[in-house]
Amino acid sequence: MEEEELQKAVLTYLRKKGFTKTELALQEEQQNRLPSHSDLPLSRLENSPGRYKNGYSKLRSWAHCSLDLYKHELLRVLYPVYIHCFMDLVAEGHMQDAREFFQNFREDHELMHLRDLQKLEGILSPSHLEEMELARSLRQNKVRIKICEYSYDLLLQYLQKTQSFSILGIVNERINFEVSPGQPISISDDAEVVALVGSSHDLAKHINQKEVRWGLLEDSVEERLEKGNSDSEKAEDENKEIEPEENKKRSAGGGKQTAPSKKSKKDKLVAATGKNVRSETSTVAVAPRVKPELTLPVMPMEVEKMIINDLRNRVQLSSMALPSVCFYTFINSHNGLNCSAISQDGSFVVGGFSDSSLKVWDMSKIGQSATLGEDQSTFNEHLVGTEEGKSSCTVFHGHSGPIYSATFSPLGDFLLSSSSDSTIRLWSPKLNANLVCYKGHNYPVWDVQFSPFGHYFASSSHDRTARIWSMDRIQPLRIMAGHLSDVDCVQWHANCNYIATGSSDKTVRLWDVQTGECARIFIGHRSTILSLAMSPDGRFMASGDEDGAIMIWDLSSSRCISPLMGHNSCVWSLAFSREGSLLASGSADCTLKLWDVTSSVKGQKIEESKTSTTNRLRLLRALPTKSTPVYTLQFSRRNLLLAAGALSKC
Amino acid sequence: MSIVPKETIEVVAQSIGISNLSPEVSLALAPDVEYRLREIMQVEAIKCMRHSKRTVLTAEDVDSALSLRNVEPIYGFASTDPLRFKKAVGHKDLFYLDDRDLDFKEVIDSPLPKAPLETAVVAHWLAIEGVQPAIPENSPVEAIVSPSENKKSENTKEDGLLVDLKLPVKHVLSRELQLYFDKITELTVTRPESNLFKEALVSLAMDSGIHPLVPYFSYFIADEVARSLNDLPILFALMRVVRSLLQNPHIHIEPYLHQLMPSIITCVVAKRLGSRIADNHWELRDFSANLAASVCRRYGHVYHNLQSRLTKTLINAFLDPSKALTQHYGAIQGLAALGPSVIRLLVLPNLEPYLQLLEPEMQLEKQKNEMKRKEAWRVYGALQCATGKCLYERLKMMPTLLSPPKHGVWRINPRIAISRIKRKLSTNNSSQQPPFKKMAVDGPAGTIQAIATTTANLQGAEDGFAPQSSGAGTAQSSAPGQVSIDSIGSRREKGGSGAPKGSVVLAQAWKEDLDAGNLLSSLFQLFGEGILSFTQSPEKSFFL
Repeated sequence: MEEEELQKAVLTYLRKKGFTKTELALQEEQQNRLPSHSDLPLSRLENSPGRYKNGYSKLRSWAHCSLDLYKHELLRVLYPVYIHCFMDLVAEGHMQDAREFFQNFREDHELMHLRDLQKLEGILSPSHLEEMELARSLRQNKVRIKICEYSYDLLLQYLQKTQSFSILGIVNERINFEVSPGQPISISDDAEVVALVGSSHDLAKHINQKEVRWGLLEDSVEERLEKGNSDSEKAEDENKEIEPEENKKRSAGGGKQTAPSKKSKKDKLVAATGKNVRSETSTVAVAPRVKPELTLPVMPMEVEKMIINDLRNRVQLSSMALPSVCFYTFINSHNGLNCSAISQDGSFVVGGFSDSSLKVWDMSKIGQSATLGEDQSTFNEHLVGTEEGKSSCTVFHGHSGPIYSATFSPLGDFLLSSSSDSTIRLWSPKLNANLVCYKGHNYPVWDVQFSPFGHYFASSSHDRTARIWSMDRIQPLRIMAGHLSDVDCVQWHANCNYIATGSSDKTVRLWDVQTGECARIFIGHRSTILSLAMSPDGRFMASGDEDGAIMIWDLSSSRCISPLMGHNSCVWSLAFSREGSLLASGSADCTLKLWDVTSSVKGQKIEESKTSTTNRLRLLRALPTKSTPVYTLQFSRRNLLLAAGALSKC
Repeated sequence: MSIVPKETIEVVAQSIGISNLSPEVSLALAPDVEYRLREIMQVEAIKCMRHSKRTVLTAEDVDSALSLRNVEPIYGFASTDPLRFKKAVGHKDLFYLDDRDLDFKEVIDSPLPKAPLETAVVAHWLAIEGVQPAIPENSPVEAIVSPSENKKSENTKEDGLLVDLKLPVKHVLSRELQLYFDKITELTVTRPESNLFKEALVSLAMDSGIHPLVPYFSYFIADEVARSLNDLPILFALMRVVRSLLQNPHIHIEPYLHQLMPSIITCVVAKRLGSRIADNHWELRDFSANLAASVCRRYGHVYHNLQSRLTKTLINAFLDPSKALTQHYGAIQGLAALGPSVIRLLVLPNLEPYLQLLEPEMQLEKQKNEMKRKEAWRVYGALQCATGKCLYERLKMMPTLLSPPKHGVWRINPRIAISRIKRKLSTNNSSQQPPFKKMAVDGPAGTIQAIATTTANLQGAEDGFAPQSSGAGTAQSSAPGQVSIDSIGSRREKGGSGAPKGSVVLAQAWKEDLDAGNLLSSLFQLFGEGILSFTQSPEKSFFL
């Protein structure tokens, strides 16, 4: 040990003085010397369980003593070697030694892989290795490590010279090196190395090469509104006299007329506001158009009008113009609130409780009228006098287990809930009745989400599948299987052709709804994914995990745009603003944070040529709540942010 | 080996009726038990916890985890609250649940617990256009501190965007200032007579760097005055310190006046200042009175109620007959220092009744206590001085009023007129009965003067012209007696004084902008010849 310390001291001295060549020479000399030094004990230990410990500790000290330039690359090798050493020991039946080995070096990896270590810690017999899916997948798949040529040579040289064959065996058997010529890769790019999950990278790579048509649907309301605006604008610019004709033409040509019954006077108004609307929706406008693969429900006329009206009155948000946040607090929930949801217009709030009841509050009946048909000032006035009449809630009974998720249909006329009794139930808040019970999952259903156009919905379950349903069938339309662990959350893509699922296996997958095939695998999170959000232009996806990290992904390139530590605790909820410039995140650490998406996305575009893209998401504002974890977030069509959470006494 | 010892397995086996479990079996089972436990606790239960959107594991989560694995749940833990574990005494990491035996009878007898409150939803604005309104529903600003600080360290770019916080400022005093303060306070308390202290006072009045010490000084003074009311030298020294601080042009003392003023006023109107009879507390009172007045003059425009509050305090002390004469003295001095107009408005209306009260105190026959008598004379002197100053001011301001001799002669004391009214109903034509009126008017005034002169002679202090003064008094009061009250009223109007016509109330009349002649005459009645020393020679000669 003394010698080792001495060596360290010498090396640090050399490094401090900048004698890199001397240092290298010294290291090589050391490597030459080491085998002869430890020849005897090694051969003796060759078949004993101690050889793993011995080999690993030597590799570890060698890696730590290596040059700073190559150090981080060599350190990456340590973790796979460590867990495989441990598993080999277990497999050989040296339970005691395995435990000892595990505890000895556990601290090194706790920072990055705490959750995996917690799981692996329990493995004590060879049979457990077979049983535990994490261990199994680790054993079955090779770990891919990017490494530069020189570091690779250094490593091999070291392993051969020290004659630590057990370690060499592990490296050969378990690690797949991607040797790249030239300089070592920068430290920041080690997102890949974190993804030590079982899913094979080759498969992921293969899948991710598929094309994803991430564009928006043709002929959406927003598009039509915009077209209508530009048309009327043009008409006004060219000639005011031919306006009525233009109007007719437009209504004839546009297939579905946007606003045929409007008087010309009103049309002018529209044109005046049209400019704003166009600039607002411009991000949406650039997105390519795709055809829907599902037959989508037809939207009733008055609903469409309402939506158009909302779109016109939408507040434009940016890093300079932050949204107003209306917070619905559940009080006296006695730790029983599991989930909550808010209807599109904010007038209904639903809470799912662990006592298997579902309660719906009609906020407009309470006298605070959260309907956003009114403008915000009156909304505010209503809010002032909230305190009376809190009890106007409707209770839905039907489930026989804790409710884990609830969602309103986009038009607010239906309500879905999923429960641990493995069923999904459809409710009608108007009739106060349970309409359908969908049975299909075999285990608790963690999440259920309506599609952006209603009628269809997706669910995700403990049975490791996600399913697509339509309201009129009691059997699922598609079953998406592929996740290696629970599917914890599900989210629809803006064009309804894809769904994204987040899982306990730390991956996010994108599924094609029509074919039921996996279209993308996103690897990078370090713990269970708890929340997902899709940007309204369909290009980006945000995911939040148990550790508080939020990542934004580019769907087409399946690359992470901005990894970050967003919160100190679980991210329960994520939401993009309606024009996609802001991302809101709600967490168990009792804060609601607003992030600037536009700047980080733009930065990504500029840097795209450089390939290394890890710019952080910019935090705009952190809004702490009064000891209320934020369960749900939703931007209304007018960009008012609605949030809900249960007040917890602590 | 395994966290679960084999003894545990044996105990569990016995509990389900297997008594002859071989040690190998328990050894082999132990690791598997641990693995299963971990699976349930660390994987499944945590999952259930997460999906219930909680961060604390409850018994319920474990139950759902067990049911996920098709295992019978553990009964007996019905509460949805997280379990409260207690630490076992003497063991580092051994915890247990406090599970008491419940007596059924107790449970049945105890009153029903309150029904739990119903779950409800309330809405509020967490933010309006990104800004958090300061309403009780939002977390107080303090709660933001730590997370925002974390954020700052995370990405420094966003500093400007974060909530601005005003942290409490810690007052830092330099070592030098601390030394200075200690030295000055020590000097003040221990050696107020030394030359060094005088130097210190000069320093306090000049030094430009002592502003940070002002709060400490003001606190020190307030504290020390309250403590050492019996120690005249210290009080005097403290007042000097106050004066020096007030003089210092570099310091901004206004925010501390509220602390200093009570101390100063204490030094003016306290019942007892100093412990010994020989202590010359009169001087301290004069000094402090001047100090208070100077504060009023300097900061009166900033604090509008400063002077009004001060005068209110003083006049209360002055008018309360139960207060000691020393207090009266202080009050008079304080009021006098505030200027002649204060005297005119506040003291003069109360002068006559007060003198009537004071009179017995001054007489040898009625007040046997030498001390008390002396005090009374002091008060008398102060009053005379104050009113005299006031008179002097008036005369100086309006010398012209006296120049037409007939006006001056005809001027009448309204009080006299009133007394006349009181005594006789037919005062209006009183010009026909000069001797009667003269008698009536001279009655009280004459006696006072007579007493005054006798006492004055006794003391041999004020003046040696008692007979003349009384004579002059009679002559003067007799002269205006010929003027009817109507003429006074008309003259007043002519003078443009704006007084309500025919105002007869004494106090009100005094408050009016009366001319100096009236004042002089009345004061002459009250104080006799002594007051004449305050008039300038021409007027004096006129009166005489």
